[in-house]
Amino acid sequence: MSAVKRRYERIYLNSVYRTMSSPATDYTLRAYYRQEFERLRGEFEANGSGESSVRDRTAVVDKLALQLWEQHVVTCASSGFALAALGGFGRRALFPYSDVDLLFLAENEALRGRMKDPVRRICQEMWDIGLRVSPTTRTLDDCARFDQDNVEFTISLLDCRFLTGDAGIFDRLRETVLPQLVARESDVLVQRLAEVTRTRHLRFGNTTFHLEPNLKDGPGGLRDSHVSRWLGAIAALDSGRKRPESLSLQHDSERNELMDAIEFLSASRCYLHYRAKRDENLISWEAQEELAAKGIATNLGTISSAEWMRLYFRHARTNYRNTTQLLEQVPGDRSSLYRSFQHWRSRVSNEEFSVVDGRVYLQQAVGARDPFVVLRLFTFIARHGFALSLETERRLKNAYRALADAMPQDARLWEHLRELLVLPHAAEALRVMHSLNLLTRAIPEFETIDSLVLRDLYHRYTVDEHSFLSIEVLHRLKNNDVEWLQPFGELLTELERPDRLFLALLLHDTGKGLAGTDHVHNSLQLAAATVERMGLPPDDAQTVCFLIATHLEMSSTLRRRDIYDPETVRELASKVGTPERLKMLTLLTLADIKSVNPEALTPWKAENLWRLYAGTANYFDRSVDEERFHAEVCTEQVERVAALLPKRRSQLLKFLDGLPQRYLMSHSPDQVIQHLEMASHLRKEPVQLGVRRVSGQHELTVVTAERAGLFSTLAGILYGWGMDITKASAFSNRAGVIVDSFYFKDRFHTLELNPPERERFKKSVVEILMHEAPLDPLLESRLKADTKPAKLKVETKLRYDDESSPGSTLLEVITQDRPGLLYTISSTLANENCSIEVALIDTEGAVAHDVFYLTRDRMKLTREQQRAIEWALTTELSDSLPSNW
Amino acid sequence: MTKLEAVIQPSKFEDVKDALLEIGVEGMTVTEVRGHGRQKGHTEFYRGREYTVDVLPKVKIEAVLPDRLVDSAIQAITNAARTGKIGDGKIFLSRIDDAIRIRNDERGETAL
Repeated sequence: MSAVKRRYERIYLNSVYRTMSSPATDYTLRAYYRQEFERLRGEFEANGSGESSVRDRTAVVDKLALQLWEQHVVTCASSGFALAALGGFGRRALFPYSDVDLLFLAENEALRGRMKDPVRRICQEMWDIGLRVSPTTRTLDDCARFDQDNVEFTISLLDCRFLTGDAGIFDRLRETVLPQLVARESDVLVQRLAEVTRTRHLRFGNTTFHLEPNLKDGPGGLRDSHVSRWLGAIAALDSGRKRPESLSLQHDSERNELMDAIEFLSASRCYLHYRAKRDENLISWEAQEELAAKGIATNLGTISSAEWMRLYFRHARTNYRNTTQLLEQVPGDRSSLYRSFQHWRSRVSNEEFSVVDGRVYLQQAVGARDPFVVLRLFTFIARHGFALSLETERRLKNAYRALADAMPQDARLWEHLRELLVLPHAAEALRVMHSLNLLTRAIPEFETIDSLVLRDLYHRYTVDEHSFLSIEVLHRLKNNDVEWLQPFGELLTELERPDRLFLALLLHDTGKGLAGTDHVHNSLQLAAATVERMGLPPDDAQTVCFLIATHLEMSSTLRRRDIYDPETVRELASKVGTPERLKMLTLLTLADIKSVNPEALTPWKAENLWRLYAGTANYFDRSVDEERFHAEVCTEQVERVAALLPKRRSQLLKFLDGLPQRYLMSHSPDQVIQHLEMASHLRKEPVQLGVRRVSGQHELTVVTAERAGLFSTLAGILYGWGMDITKASAFSNRAGVIVDSFYFKDRFHTLELNPPERERFKKSVVEILMHEAPLDPLLESRLKADTKPAKLKVETKLRYDDESSPGSTLLEVITQDRPGLLYTISSTLANENCSIEVALIDTEGAVAHDVFYLTRDRMKLTREQQRAIEWALTTELSDSLPSNW
Repeated sequence: MTKLEAVIQPSKFEDVKDALLEIGVEGMTVTEVRGHGRQKGHTEFYRGREYTVDVLPKVKIEAVLPDRLVDSAIQAITNAARTGKIGDGKIFLSRIDDAIRIRNDERGETAL
């Protein structure tokens, strides 16, 4: 036995083992520590208690530290010198392989210098024992000094615990120096602590829901509970100053919930340490399997890893929410301008909700029991991005049972949800709703993916978080400054009904929670049940289901097909059907890829997606008359309409014969039936009109017999009435029946504010089309009134395409939108004796984008005719601008 | 040892990867790249906006192979990536002096 070992044996016999239950004389301190470590490991394996494991390891290390102090310091001097524990050691929460943080506290510099050697020896021997020691030696003056660049040290003092030595000097630190320091610097301390924590959360994407989470540093990890503890300690030490309510300890129920979460995390961390034999905090997939198989931190025995991870996420979410609630009460080091802004934000309070310091409160406590008030509360959050106040959250939790039972799942839910989904902070509102278990009460199908971990190397988040993130990604497109994402942002603003896309995003992966390999099929089944229960109109329900059924289509095309091959584009267009659906599917694909992990969407992938979109959108515009309906070949869409009219099948087929397939794709069965009905009355009334309101606009549908200049006359009438045409289409069937549709904004609210004007408007359309009234007076009065300058100048571009259509020349017109534009273009074309076979009219902001399929004498246009039209249009479009434009 | 660099159409990547795995090439580095050879590029229009597509998306595969696998790897890539059209891509070969596995200092072909 070496001299060193003998010395340790003596130490062991004389001091440490005085307090031990079973002394063994041949142990060195190292052997003692090893034995105790194994004992603690065995106890953990037997009882699975994280709390007792970390507490007992602390006690073992306490004894070792005391013993070494006796050995190396007492013999020198102990007056004016003390040993304290910091960090986890100070909190009596020493995990199996955690560092041991020590503070050697000296009364003055001279003593610190004198004790340098004993300190070095203590630390050296602790390393030899197998402990990772992290020591610091400070004087009282050092501790009293606040170092902006080392706030961490001051924060670490909040956990300090006396071990041995001069108790008087330690008391001066704890009772005088630390309270004075905190009272003096509490604002900076709290702000820096918040800053460090926010930066840490940001490193993990501000989400708990990682597939392989870090249970120490990740959001909702143990570090967050330390932050809460430090904030509480600062509040207690600075009790003379008024602090936000939440910086004090939580209510009993919340404290219990939090304690459960900390115990769960502690037990899991102990297991990870023992398993890896080092300070390992990542819950890898392999670790998840083992934790679940052994039922670590639960009393459920063996459970599946998915179930175990759900428990983990529930506890981490509790911990994360608690910390973020506290942090949000800490004002950042912001300018007075920001504070003014915060104050301004509070002005959005209304009769149901008030906003104080960026947090939402219910005006009436009883509102927490009313599911419709609560749904409006989430919509309020989605609109403004405020967080729930602690008080509101408590009220909602207390009223959970009543709320859960009364939460609507039908059309009343969809009325709220469709409003919420399109608001800028929808994802945040959905997350809050989900964390309160109310989202799964409203949409039970979502429960399948609640905290669901799916294992692959590509995904980083749980499936529910991936769905929320995809919604967030789309909303962020609106204000993003990344150049390669901007075209997608513009696309989003062009959508007629974005609510359907957002609902599809919310539900697109719900099938991943069901057994089987085809998650798309499963998601579709679940979504079909959801949209049926929520009473979505058939067209909306079909669109949502279509998006879910095809949500991998564009990704797959990008991976497997040549996107420049016309056949690839044609096939995609055929599957998608309409330009509106193509836009939605493109955005869904982008959001789906980008929310897989932060690096998944590269500029390269985005560019390819955009090219595929642009190619397919162009194909839609240029191929309308390529595929016309033939009565003998019935498509699925036709059969869907025919099923609603079993007795009028032949009449329907006759009406559809010769109409472009795009007509069928872009009109719902109800609309087709309405058009058929109108066509069947043409003998009695040769002009059939329909006017309805759609998404804040009006739609005028005209069904009549083909005649020269019809489209331009209709455009002129609408302009004469002061209407602003945003979209239009013109189709004709083989029998010469025209179906023209115009979407327009009622610029002067003529039809809305004066109900009798609606009938006068319809009468005016019929009379002018029937040549019973002239168009010119209507136009002249309007031209005089319209002198408003445009805000933006768009260069006019005209492009001909003789290739895309077998029978027509395509003319694409891009120009500045202005009142009467469509009338100007279409009347110019009519003056050049052109027939408009098909017209696709669209407006994006100030830019008009119109595509006309033109013939003259039923033939494509010659080069000379094209030049003549170009000259006439260029002249007219420059002349049609008021002189001050 | 030979280093193989193949620049191929993105749509052929999955097929090429499967073909290489089948002949025993297990390690490869894949990069999303842009470029053009004789294919040059073309001009596209979307809603009146002109997009000059002068460099096209490609995928670059890099793999260092034992010499015995080189011919079969070339064959696998050409079979899987060829459409016969301009733009199918290229394969470049170069000699490699040595390879070192960082984990355990293995060298040469055993490090591959």
